Amino acid sequence: MSESFFLSPNLAWPLALILAWVAGEFGHRRTGLPRISIYGLVGFVLANLQSGLLPSSDSIVLLANIAFGLILFELGYRINLRWLRSNPWLGVTSLTEALLTFIAVFYVAQAFGVEIIPSLLLASLAMATSPAAILRVVNEEHSSGQVTERILHLSAFNCVLAVFTFKVVVGLWVFHTTGDILHALWNSLVFLMFSALLGGLFGIAVPALLSRLNNSERDATVVFAIAVIALVALTHALDFSPVLATLAFGLIARHRRIALSQAEKNFGTLGNLLTVLLFVFMSSTLEWSMVMAGAGLALVLVIVRFAVKTLAVAAFSHVGGITWRKGVLTGVALTPLSAFVILLLEQTRHLGIGLIEELTALAAITLILEVVGPIVTHWALVLAKEVPDSDRS
Amino acid sequence: MPLEPFKSSASLTMGVELELQLVNLSDLDLTAASPDMLHLLRRAEFPGNVTPEVTESMIEINTDVHTSHTGMLAQLKLIRDRLLRAGDTLNVGICGGGTHPFQHWADRKIFAKPRFREVSAIYGYLIKQFTVFGQHIHIGCSSGDEALFLLHALNRYIPHFIALSASSPYFQGVDTLFNSARLNSVFAFPLSGRAPFLLRWEEFERGYFAKMEHTGIVGSMKDFYWDIRPKPEYGTIELRVCDTPLTVERAAALSAYLQALCRYLLERNEPEPAEDDYLVYNYNRFQACRFGLDGTLVHPKSHETLSLREDILTTLRHLEPHAAALGSQDALEHLYPVIYEGSDASFLRRRYAESGSLEGMVDAALERFRAPAR
Repeated sequence: MSESFFLSPNLAWPLALILAWVAGEFGHRRTGLPRISIYGLVGFVLANLQSGLLPSSDSIVLLANIAFGLILFELGYRINLRWLRSNPWLGVTSLTEALLTFIAVFYVAQAFGVEIIPSLLLASLAMATSPAAILRVVNEEHSSGQVTERILHLSAFNCVLAVFTFKVVVGLWVFHTTGDILHALWNSLVFLMFSALLGGLFGIAVPALLSRLNNSERDATVVFAIAVIALVALTHALDFSPVLATLAFGLIARHRRIALSQAEKNFGTLGNLLTVLLFVFMSSTLEWSMVMAGAGLALVLVIVRFAVKTLAVAAFSHVGGITWRKGVLTGVALTPLSAFVILLLEQTRHLGIGLIEELTALAAITLILEVVGPIVTHWALVLAKEVPDSDRS
Repeated sequence: MPLEPFKSSASLTMGVELELQLVNLSDLDLTAASPDMLHLLRRAEFPGNVTPEVTESMIEINTDVHTSHTGMLAQLKLIRDRLLRAGDTLNVGICGGGTHPFQHWADRKIFAKPRFREVSAIYGYLIKQFTVFGQHIHIGCSSGDEALFLLHALNRYIPHFIALSASSPYFQGVDTLFNSARLNSVFAFPLSGRAPFLLRWEEFERGYFAKMEHTGIVGSMKDFYWDIRPKPEYGTIELRVCDTPLTVERAAALSAYLQALCRYLLERNEPEPAEDDYLVYNYNRFQACRFGLDGTLVHPKSHETLSLREDILTTLRHLEPHAAALGSQDALEHLYPVIYEGSDASFLRRRYAESGSLEGMVDAALERFRAPAR
């Protein structure tokens, strides 16, 4: 089929982006659905209409990673670590919801006859909330309030926890012996530290450079964007975690900024463009047959994960200083998962671990949550009254 | 509804209201956090009172009635600490300042309360533009006549309060060159400005308020946005020209300054206030807003030109015995250095120059509210 005019990746991707963007704008205006849900649907449909319509290539994977890196940088920039100290319940909430999600998903997978290691992998991935979906929805809706603040922080924390446990489990798998758990833990910890350290170095160097240039207002966005691209490429080459590195970059940059400056939300046009690509790319990696095969278990897992996150977060809402209602909505809003999973898996693909193929349930979970996740977050924010009503008349 | 009778209260008692900014600690813009803050603050007894303001990125506090500067300051500090604790729990920054330097008014959210929705419908964008932060000082009066006398006798001192409290040099992202840009937002309202020159409460009630009410323009005293207005239900006059200072210490000192000034005026050693005093009123007020302590005043009686800085200094010295009688020497001690070192507006401009960004300026305001320099 490769001789077909349409199948050239050089043409297929730009066309897919145009389609997704147009569908996103019209769909959003007609239905009020988050644009990213629609991008995901378009990607999935295009990739499955005719197998291979959207061929994955290394450059697309790298671009998707850059898109994700920019989002994580922005998320890191919005995280206030001091909040953990002044409100310890935030940390307790985060650890509890992540841990309980891990346990619950693991046992459900076991009950469905999934083997130990794949169950552990599923469980570790399920801990995370996709920062891409959260941040896009928050920015698109201009929401502000406790649900908004808390999902941003909880999503950053549970991603770090998920990367850590995922790495431990992969370590166990690679060594093929459960006796090496300490070794795997150690490896994972070192991996985390180096990734974070690399990001931290950028976080110190770039603001220092900016303050030397002394024109931070105008060029900050460009400089940070270029630095993120470089950091993603570097972590890829060195086999570190781009997730952690870019998150740490944003975090350190925020806490170190000498001259504070407003980095443009979403990295402006560049961010918008790459977001379309990211969400189309993610669902284009999923195949219809795989989705169908894992649909049953996936549905159960999605429901269990949703229930556990909601209950665990809601349980600490009163002591954490918010209403029960907002606590429940915070837990509900943590539903999105997809971008994080796909990119993490893409990175392990070269290790010879075809996780998506092995974990059929994962393909279905990813698809369900890519479309449904942002919608759930959107409605949680609306119900929490954190989205301005259209009173801009 | 006719104006309620003026409720007599003890002369020279005082109360303070402060409108404060709720700031997002990530981008340092204003954030719609008041519903969450109010929920948390209302769980336990609050030292004073806390209420929502028209947009969700503002919160208003008020003190009880005080007779002394010491009591006022102590309560304001308690209130500040409670607010800061709640803010820490919710990751919300709290600070003073008459304006937020770069918030965009169109981004503001109107607090869900019928009155706020009403005024928003009447005034349109003016209300969101009105996301400015003021300090209101109430002084108790024994009668309506005393209230109207004080209200008009204070006319020549209004610029003092504008210049001493000024903390709104930036608005919508630009340096306005004003020290108090906030008051320009207030002047946009049709019922702003000064009260009509009437010295008898009965005349005010029948000859002015009843007529105004008959026109259908106003329903209660709340509809007037005057620089000073009588508040019959509390038995006070309310001075509304002050920007919210960056610290509660400054807020308490300003309130004690007004108290001492009223004590002095009630001795009636100055020439009686007259309608013609108001010929220079708007000019003087503009000078104070625009130039702060560097402004010049025209004396309403003698028409001589005075330096605002000198005039405040003279007044402070003049008030020393009154402050001593009221036990508020500390308040005057707090204000003397302001005259030389500059107001909060100068402080903010300096911090902008140092940090090179408006965000750095907001950061400085947050820090100063928490831990004042002196």
